[in-house]
Amino acid sequence: MTKKTIIQFDHVAKRFDGEIILKDISFAIERGKFYTLLGPSGCGKTTILRLIAGFLEPSEGTITFDGRMVNKIPPNKRQVNTVFQDYALFPHLNVFENVAFGLRINKLTNKEIEPRVKQALHFVNLDGYQNREIAELSGGQKQRVAIARAIVNQPQVLLLDEPLSALDLKLRTAMQVELRQLQRRLGITFIFVTHDQEEALAMSDEIFVLNQGKIEQSGSPRSIYDEPINRFVADFIGESNIIPGTMLKDRVVSFAGKTFDCVDQGFDEREAVEIVIRPEDLEIKPHGEGLLQVRIESQLFRGVHYEMIGKDEDGNSWMIHSTKSARIGEEIGLFFEPEAIHVMRHGETEEAFDRRLESYEGAGHD
Amino acid sequence: MVKKRIGSTLFLLCVFVVLYLPIFYLMFYSFNKAGNMTHFTGFTFDWYKEVFSDKRLIAIVVDTVIVALLSSLLSTVLGVFGALAIYLTKGRHYKNMLLSLNNILMVSPDVIIGASFLILFTLLGIKLGFISVLLAHIAFSVPIVVLMVLPKLQEMSPTLIDAARDLGAKRLDVLLKVVIPFITPGIFAGFFMALTYSLDDFAVTFFVTGNGFSTLSVEIYSRARQGISMSVNALSTLIFLITLAIVLVYYFSTRGMGKVKQLSGGEDA
Ligand SMILES: Nc1ncnc2c1ncn2[C@@H]1O[C@H](COP(=O)(O)OP(=O)(O)O)[C@@H](O)[C@H]1O
Ligand SMILES: [Mg+2]
Repeated sequence: MTKKTIIQFDHVAKRFDGEIILKDISFAIERGKFYTLLGPSGCGKTTILRLIAGFLEPSEGTITFDGRMVNKIPPNKRQVNTVFQDYALFPHLNVFENVAFGLRINKLTNKEIEPRVKQALHFVNLDGYQNREIAELSGGQKQRVAIARAIVNQPQVLLLDEPLSALDLKLRTAMQVELRQLQRRLGITFIFVTHDQEEALAMSDEIFVLNQGKIEQSGSPRSIYDEPINRFVADFIGESNIIPGTMLKDRVVSFAGKTFDCVDQGFDEREAVEIVIRPEDLEIKPHGEGLLQVRIESQLFRGVHYEMIGKDEDGNSWMIHSTKSARIGEEIGLFFEPEAIHVMRHGETEEAFDRRLESYEGAGHD
Repeated sequence: MVKKRIGSTLFLLCVFVVLYLPIFYLMFYSFNKAGNMTHFTGFTFDWYKEVFSDKRLIAIVVDTVIVALLSSLLSTVLGVFGALAIYLTKGRHYKNMLLSLNNILMVSPDVIIGASFLILFTLLGIKLGFISVLLAHIAFSVPIVVLMVLPKLQEMSPTLIDAARDLGAKRLDVLLKVVIPFITPGIFAGFFMALTYSLDDFAVTFFVTGNGFSTLSVEIYSRARQGISMSVNALSTLIFLITLAIVLVYYFSTRGMGKVKQLSGGEDA
C-alpha cells in the first residue's frame, strides 16, 4: 500500500442470503482521483458503494480506509459522504437546512455553519437558493443540493451513485463537465457509479468495469477503450467488431480468410483468438482497394457520421462509422492500420493481460 | 352525460339527507318549548340552560374529554413506536403477521373487546372506573394510530435514513430529526382519529366503567332509557357541533400539507 492509497479492498466478497453478489473484489483507490464503477444494472455497483460508505459489511475480505481496517465501522463514523441516486433530500427541511444537516449533527455553531453552507452552495452554482423548499426545486437543482450537502462535510471521498441518470441528456452532459471540475477544485477522491459507458469515458481518471459481481478490467479510459480484455468489455465500452481469428505468430494474425499484420504478441502458435476493430477505425476505399471487401447491407445516418453494416466474403458482419456514405448493395474496400487491430486471448486474467501488454509495449508499439 | 351527473348528484344528496336528517331533527327539537319531539310549540334555550346547570353532566363532560385526550396522547406515543417496530421488522411473513394482529383489533366488534377487557380487569383486580376506561381506550386506539402512521413510514424512501446516517447522525438523531418530522402528518391523523374514537365510544366503555365513573355516551344512554328529556337533545347538538369543529380544523390543517405535496409531485413530472 502506498501513501497515496486511501481505500483498499482485499478479496472482498458479499453475499445476501447465501447468494453471492460480489466475488473476490480487490482494488486500491488513490487520493484526489476520479474513479468510475461501470457495469450493467444489477452487477453490484451500488453494493460496492454501500460497502465503502459502511451501510453493508463484507462477508469476506477486508476494507481499509487510510490504512485502518473499517469492516465494522458504522457509516456515521466514516469520512465518506454519498450522493444518492434518488437524492434523498429531507423534504421537511429547506435547502439551507438540508446542506447544514451534517454540520448541525456535528454540533457546529451557527456562526461556523452559515459560511460553510453558503460556500458549498456556491460550489454547485446555487447561490441564493438557501431559503427554497425542496419541493420547489427542479431535478437538476435537487441534484446540486445533494452534492452540496455531501461536500460541505469535507469528506475525503465522495461517493456518487448514478447521480445523473435521472436528468435529461443536455443537463447530464453539462453536469458531467461540472462534476469533473468540482472534483479538480476540491482535490478529493470521487467514486462515481454509472451504467453509461460514454459518461465513464468522458469523466474518469480510472474506470473499473464490473460484470456479475466481478471486476473485468480496470484502467484509464483510453486503455480500456483501446485494449479491452475480453468480449464483454469490448462490447460494453462502445461499439466494436469482434471477429474470431487465429494468431499465426507474433504480430501476424489471420481472420476473415486473410492474413494481417498487427501489433500484438505473446500468444501460442496458431492460438484461436478474438480480434476487435472499432467501427471508426475502418476506412472506406473503392471496390478492390483496401484490405477487405464488403457488401453494404444497411446504413443509418447518425448525425456526425454514417453507421453502415457490411458483410465480407466469409460472412462476418462489419460495423463501419464514416463521414462518407455508401449505397446499400454497393461493394466497397475496407482499410485499417495494424494498430487498429486488437487481439484478445480467451479467458485471460487481468494480471496476465497486463503482463503481456507490458512485455511489448516498451518495444515501440502502442 | 349531463343527465347522468344530475342523477348521481341527486342520489348523493338523498343519501346525505337520509344520514343527516335524524341529527337535524334532534337538533331542531332541542329548541322546543314543549319538551317533546312531536309538537314544536315555540323557541327556547331552556334545555341548554339545563345542560349547563347540571353539575353531574358537566363533570362527566370533563371526564370524557380528559379520558379522550389522555388516551389519544398515550396511544399516539405507543402507536408510533408500534408502527416503527412493524416497519423495522425484517422478514415479510413476520411483518404481515404483526400487521394482521393489528388489523384484527381494528375490525373486531366493540362488544367483544369490551367484554374481554372486563374479564381481564376483573382477573387482575383492577378497580373499574377512570383507570380501567382509560386503559381500554388506549388499547383500542393504538391499532388506529399504527394504521395511520405506517403508510407514512412506508412512503418514506429508505435512502432518507441512509442519508442521515451518512451525514453522521446517530440512531436517535435519525429518529428525531428525519423520521418523526417525515411522519408527523400521520401522527396527527392518528391522534385525531384516536380522539374521535375515544369521544364517541359507547360499547367498550359501557363494559369497563363502574363505581360511578361515566362518560358522555354512557350517560346519555342511561338518561335516554329513563325517558327522553330535551336536555339530551341539547347535549347531543353541542357534541355534534364540537365534532364538526374538530373535523374542520383537521381538514384545513391537512389541506395545507397536501398542497406542498402536490407542488413537489408536479415539479417532478
Ligand atoms: N439488501 C439486499 N438483499 C438482497 N439482495 C440484494 C440486496 N442489495 C442488492 N441485492 C442484489 O445484489 C445485486 C447487485 O445489486 P446492486 O449492487 O444494487 O447493483 P447495481 O447497483 O450495479 O445495479 C442485485 O442482483 C440485487 O438484487
Ligand atoms: Mg445501483
